[in-house]
Amino acid sequence: MKAAAFEYVRPADLAGAVKALAGMPGEAKPLGGGQSLGPMLNLRLARPKLLVDVSRLESMRAIEDRGSLWRIGGAVTHSAIEDASLPGGEPLSSVARGIAYRTIRNRGTIGGSLAHADPAADWPLALPALGAEVVIAGPGGERRVTAATFMHGAFATALAEDELVVAVEVPKLSAGARWGYWKFCRKTGEFPEASAAVLLDAQRKVARLWVGALNGAPQPMEALAADLAQRGGLAASEDAVSRALERVAPDLDPAQRRLHITAVRRAVQQATE
Amino acid sequence: MQQIILTVNGEKVEALAEPRTHLGDFLREQQRLTGTHLGCEHGVCGACTVLIDGQPARSCISYAVACEGREVRTIEGFGDDAVMNELRAAFNKYHALQCGFCTPGMLIAARDLVLRVPDADEKRIRVEMSGNLCRCTGYMGIVRAVKSVIDARRAVNDPQIEAAPAAAPAAFTPFQAAAPAAPPAVPPTVPPTAAASAAPAPAAPAAAPAAKKPGTVIEDEFTVDHPLARVWEIFADMPAVAACLPGAEISEHTPTSLKGRITTKFGPMRAAFAGTAALERDEAVKSGAIRGNGTDSLSGSRARGDISYRLHDAGGGRTRVTVAIDYSLQGPLAQFSRGGLVKEFVKKMVADFAANLNARLGAPAGSAAAAAPAAQVDAGGFFWTWLWGRIKSLFGAK
Ligand SMILES: Cc1cc2nc3c(=O)[nH]c(=O)nc-3n(C[C@H](O)[C@H](O)[C@H](O)COP(=O)(O)OP(=O)(O)OC[C@H]3O[C@@H](n4cnc5c(N)ncnc54)[C@H](O)[C@@H]3O)c2cc1C
Ligand code: FES
Ligand code: FES
Repeated sequence: MKAAAFEYVRPADLAGAVKALAGMPGEAKPLGGGQSLGPMLNLRLARPKLLVDVSRLESMRAIEDRGSLWRIGGAVTHSAIEDASLPGGEPLSSVARGIAYRTIRNRGTIGGSLAHADPAADWPLALPALGAEVVIAGPGGERRVTAATFMHGAFATALAEDELVVAVEVPKLSAGARWGYWKFCRKTGEFPEASAAVLLDAQRKVARLWVGALNGAPQPMEALAADLAQRGGLAASEDAVSRALERVAPDLDPAQRRLHITAVRRAVQQATE
Repeated sequence: MQQIILTVNGEKVEALAEPRTHLGDFLREQQRLTGTHLGCEHGVCGACTVLIDGQPARSCISYAVACEGREVRTIEGFGDDAVMNELRAAFNKYHALQCGFCTPGMLIAARDLVLRVPDADEKRIRVEMSGNLCRCTGYMGIVRAVKSVIDARRAVNDPQIEAAPAAAPAAFTPFQAAAPAAPPAVPPTVPPTAAASAAPAPAAPAAAPAAKKPGTVIEDEFTVDHPLARVWEIFADMPAVAACLPGAEISEHTPTSLKGRITTKFGPMRAAFAGTAALERDEAVKSGAIRGNGTDSLSGSRARGDISYRLHDAGGGRTRVTVAIDYSLQGPLAQFSRGGLVKEFVKKMVADFAANLNARLGAPAGSAAAAAPAAQVDAGGFFWTWLWGRIKSLFGAK
């Protein structure tokens, strides 16, 4: 199908982009890589009046080493992250490599993925597990939200209609930190049916375990993560994971439960073996 | 129309394009380069793959105006490209095509793979090529063809590219985690603000749907702070019921049927389902059903839903309403709305309905509050995710 008519602008800078969005509240949408918005436009499921292309804004296209963290611009593509060498940010590259297909990764952006907030998407799961912060710009200037609180539900985020994800800041892992990431996909590159991410960083005393592809936003399993840090993979028994899952996602059907429990246990296995 | 300048297969092209024209259509219809094929037009099949600034991309979800200043290369633009010629010969030799519909996209994706991952083995080839669908060949020939080109190049080029064995990660050593710095994603308890309150009693089954049709069934319940007779009365008043369901409008109705539409918002997606419904009521057991069908004409999505409800006296002048919603969704919206999402969405509608119903019953007739606004249902909203999480945890999950 073909998209319904819309206007298109490509402001030269961030201020111009925010202004264009604020000028048409509710009717204007940012355009990143168009890899989620494009399908919705073509199927006429989304019908904005104006697209504000932010994919070429220089300030949002850089990957910067900021000492203790990596700052990734909101318009950086998945494939740029896949190809980058990011000491202390290795999980970023490996997660990027697993998103969709190379043709999608070449255009899809990390900011667009976060803003789209598909419950099964990769960045909304991986970034909270990595303890990232989302840098947001709007008419009132810049603000920050933890990746853990950025996504509010399916396709719902902390962003106002005239705000942009300008960057994400991801703390670097210590040497020896362990990362596990598992997704169950019907077909390679499709959105997963269950997913999980684990970070165990002994030096920084950080243990996080997040489960994704739920009905709403990905969810943390904090107690289980702390237990994992102390006891290793043993803590993630079938039973313990099942109970932790029951707390954060009580309404999964039996097949989904099975997939999610197994995804969590496999991610844990990667991080602890 | 917007003026754009870009390079197509090495030549500068100046053209007018409507913003909504995607690159695939621009190439095929305006540039007459019909080698780029369009299959799904929503990013799934890969038939439309072209190079944009040297990188493969789906031309169906890239808009021509967004390619201003870019270098676009289509399957017609690889006449003297060495890798492409090797791939063409190999596709021929290994029967990597039958109808040829997927072939332009396959070749462009394969060329990128050969250059980007020169040591890809069969598994990697399959993973890397998984974004291009072929309805004819079963992929065996395609994988063999790509592999033959990679193997031949490795033999000639540099046999040394054997990857250095990856350093094994250090063994895991236990540690004591600090308390998490980030607050949990779901906000903890906030006092409920909606008038709807959950009854702790287990749900009694609502009136069963007449005949079993394929669909998803959601059972839910809520309590209204008004006596059964009053609630039963308002359930017969379709305009009042519609006014409690955000986004619903009724254009015509009789005691047994209605015509109308319901506008929904699902994140960035919007749909307005217009249709009809049949109404049933059983006075004796205070139960009823609304069986509806609707179509969103703009996207061509279709929805069917049977809502069965039953009223129970909850004591103290309160009424417990149990509902069973059996629904199915077809068309474009269904592709985007994996089961769980729709489920949450339907539950949100029930929650909004309950809150509005309570508000309406509570307000004196004719007052402004009695007329709930026909706003859209906003799925994924923060409040209801939280509300339902809470209500469910109150009486245990199903
Ligand atoms: C076939 C297919 C398979 C896929 N599989 C996966 C998968 O397995 N895992 C996965 O994670 N993703 C997957 N995706 C989605 C892909 O990762 C998208 O790139 C991503 O979701 C959106 O990024 P984008 O830059 O293309 O955003 P767009 O499509 O341009 O925009 C998406 C939304 O975000 C808004 N937006 C865009 N940029 C910004 C910004 N900087 N600030 C604020 N709002 C913004 C837009 O207005 C829009 O609402 C898949 C996509 C397709 C087509
Ligand atoms: S036509 Fe573009 S991916 Fe199917
Ligand atoms: S050859 Fe027919 S689709 Fe691939």
